[in-house]
Amino acid sequence: MATSRNIFFERAEWRRPLAWSAVLHGSFFLALFLYAVFVHAPAGDTWGADDTGSAMSATLISRVSIPLPPNPVQTENVLADQSQGLSKSQPKAVEESPQALPIPRLGKKPKPQLRTSKAQPHTPPPEDNTVPYGEGGPAAIPYSTFTLQSMQGGLNLGGTGDFGRLYGWYVDVVRRTISQNWLQYEIDPGIYSAHRVYLTFDILRDGSPANVQIEQSSGVPSLDQSAVRALQRIDSFGPLPAGYRGNRVSVEFWFDYKR
Amino acid sequence: MSRSYFLFIALTISLLLIAGCAKKPAPVAAQPAPPPPAPTASLSANPDAIEAGQSTQLTWQTQNATDISITPMGTVEPNGSRSVSPNESTTYRLTAKGPGGTQEATARVTVSAGASAQGAVSETEAQAFARNVKDVFFDYDSYDLRPEATASLQSAAAFLEQHPNLSFTIEGHCDERGSTDYNLALGDKRASAVQDALVKDGVKGTRVRTISYGKEKPFCAESNEQCWQQNRRGHFVLQR
Amino acid sequence: MKRTPFIFSILVFASLADAQQDWIRTGTGLGVEKVRLAAPGLKPANADPALGPLLQTFNTTFWNDLDNAGIFEMVSKSFYPLQTPGSPPEMRLASWANDPANAGMVAFGNLALQGQQCVMLGWLFDVKNSGSPQVLGKTYSDAAGDDGARHLAHRFANDIIYRLGGAINGITLSQIAFISSRSGHKELWLMDYDGAAQHQLTRLNSISLSPRISPDGDRIAFVNFGKGVQLAMFSVELNRTVAFPSFGGTNVTPAWSSDGRKLAFSSSMRGNPNIYVSDASGANLRRITEGPGPDVSPVWNPKTNSQIAFVSGRSGLPQVYIIDADGANLQRMTDTGYAVSPSWSPNGQFLAFAWRRNYGPGAPGGQDIYIMDVATRQWVQLTHDSGLNDFPSWSPDGRHIVYESRHGARSEIWSMLADGSKARALTSSGNNSQPNWSFK
Repeated sequence: MATSRNIFFERAEWRRPLAWSAVLHGSFFLALFLYAVFVHAPAGDTWGADDTGSAMSATLISRVSIPLPPNPVQTENVLADQSQGLSKSQPKAVEESPQALPIPRLGKKPKPQLRTSKAQPHTPPPEDNTVPYGEGGPAAIPYSTFTLQSMQGGLNLGGTGDFGRLYGWYVDVVRRTISQNWLQYEIDPGIYSAHRVYLTFDILRDGSPANVQIEQSSGVPSLDQSAVRALQRIDSFGPLPAGYRGNRVSVEFWFDYKR
Repeated sequence: MSRSYFLFIALTISLLLIAGCAKKPAPVAAQPAPPPPAPTASLSANPDAIEAGQSTQLTWQTQNATDISITPMGTVEPNGSRSVSPNESTTYRLTAKGPGGTQEATARVTVSAGASAQGAVSETEAQAFARNVKDVFFDYDSYDLRPEATASLQSAAAFLEQHPNLSFTIEGHCDERGSTDYNLALGDKRASAVQDALVKDGVKGTRVRTISYGKEKPFCAESNEQCWQQNRRGHFVLQR
Repeated sequence: MKRTPFIFSILVFASLADAQQDWIRTGTGLGVEKVRLAAPGLKPANADPALGPLLQTFNTTFWNDLDNAGIFEMVSKSFYPLQTPGSPPEMRLASWANDPANAGMVAFGNLALQGQQCVMLGWLFDVKNSGSPQVLGKTYSDAAGDDGARHLAHRFANDIIYRLGGAINGITLSQIAFISSRSGHKELWLMDYDGAAQHQLTRLNSISLSPRISPDGDRIAFVNFGKGVQLAMFSVELNRTVAFPSFGGTNVTPAWSSDGRKLAFSSSMRGNPNIYVSDASGANLRRITEGPGPDVSPVWNPKTNSQIAFVSGRSGLPQVYIIDADGANLQRMTDTGYAVSPSWSPNGQFLAFAWRRNYGPGAPGGQDIYIMDVATRQWVQLTHDSGLNDFPSWSPDGRHIVYESRHGARSEIWSMLADGSKARALTSSGNNSQPNWSFK
């Protein structure tokens, strides 16, 4: 009966490995938990709930380093001709869904009900390539600014540094410079809104961005690429503040897009 | 039991390592053939201002060129020097052609007439010039010759052929509308158009100089069509 | 078996090592705000009566520099707290950060006279950051006098603009070359970017046109009608014209490449006005465009120096074209009207030019300055006057454009932000035309 003894022997052997496995798993999770509690939490690493920083905001402008225009004043310019500029495209014809009439029953008159379809197809506003200023109309691309909804960036500090608290003005400069260098027309015009894209990059001592990486894609490749190109367009944000001792600063920047 | 367990682990790890180590070497890009070097050329005349009858030394140098010629002399060697004595002011042009392209260089020799070489232009000749060689006028933003301008230039050419000693300058002018810089180029086209018409009618090109004044030297200063038309002209100036 | 727990612990400890970098996390959101900057001006450091006029000059120049920079929203002086701080201990952040001032940054300091020098201490404070408000703290000195005070203001403003504007140098020390006929002839003149210190450079008593300052600021190329229509070179250092070769025909509109090594210009030395490129000394001449032309007004792409934009009348009225610097790849940028005088922006992205979209006698509209994005050919009109606007020239920071505005017989030089706002006249007398902004 050697085989039966082997079987019993095998079965008995699993208790010790199982015990070891449990111990190692337990120690691993314990280490993780301790790391999270003691290394990250005391520095106030919360997302969005922390109110110590000023609310960051920036807007996509698709104009590099050019200050935005003021609200266009509609003046009566009798000398300007009435044409709407070069390349006015015709507004897209709105499709009307066929009006459904009930099937006429024999003998009965069909009710002349015109049932308009409830769900209008989503028509985008007609592409306006008109000339701005003096010929009426809002500023055309690339001046268009648009607001994003309910995006309040929070100033969050991680690790052991407090760069954002000491040099909030530098963070403002970074934010403004990136938003000025983001060109809207690089994004696929068919996209109306997209998830957030997270970018990480480092700012070196001389202020130049390095190591640009997409940490989490928005799912829209043109949006990701336009964000990366915005950073590539920037030569420098300005040297890091003299009081800051480190050699580089890591930035995580997220873009939201809503046309 | 434990031995087979470890053997299995070791085998798995070694398989992973082998798989990870198998990197393909980067393909070596084929080097494109370097383009042939572009030719260089330089030409100078020493001295560049002489009197009629004197000679000047033309010196030139070229590199990476196979076909070198100087107008009006003809084909020459790649580097060299030659003595020339032109009768009138000429611009010598060196053209160097090679496998890498073409390069040009110019040198201008100005010949001033000695007092005895050319008789001074007499007063009656100047008056005859003014009578027979009249300014031509152009359309708005155009350098094309009108039919009456062409006719006027034909009779001017006939007069000029009878007085081969007269040299003159054609000035191109524009009216005050239009941009300063573009008007300089437009004036130049107008002067060239007049010069081409005269040369086609037989006047020797070396007697004619062209210059453009754009809208910088208008003939009148009002802002109406008559004045503007007066300013859009090719103007003849006799050289004395 | 006993080895496995050891490997695990190494991995755990290794992941803790990278937490030493600082993290700032920001995102995009609503609106775009410019920095709200308050500039109460300098305080005198002592009761020296000579400081009065100097402070006046400094404060006016300083305010104008910051206001015209285009990146600040200047807090109106009526909202300032009554007490002007002269040094950090006198600075009360709360009174500046709260209403009614509601400033984001404050620039303040004091000025003193020390013998022949005026010395200023200047600070820039972030008033919303009470923990460590100082952004800049610097001392500057210059010769005592009106010019010195203006120079101090320019330098302090430059440092503030550089710090808060994203590492783009301020333009307060840049200059504009232009043509003025005040002396009776069209001569070359030079002035500061804000119209101050206008002075005459050439006294050639003939017509001079088209000034172009070299990238190092040392020479100015221009066109002179003294002996034919030829290119000429003025040396700022020697304060006179220096030799430049003459070519046949009519030679106009020089343009420097941004590395200072090449000159592009229009010449009819071979009969037709075409674009030529030569070295900065006039050697190594090469023809770039062909055909009847007339081709004129070349300008280099300052970012790459591999493209040249120019004006050509080859299809009728002048239009703006772009060609590679070796003569290949001709592209037409404008499609209608009368387009002249292109100027390429320092970042290589935009062309500014003068355009009359409805051309012809009696046509409505005037000639205005437009900018066009080179990649997409979309354009925006910047000026809307009834006058004739021409010769736009970009500033080195890419935020301003200087141009000539003509009403009837009078032409003056104006400056505006690159979106068309804040237009103001820099000159007021004489006939002033063809401005050119320096490279730095």
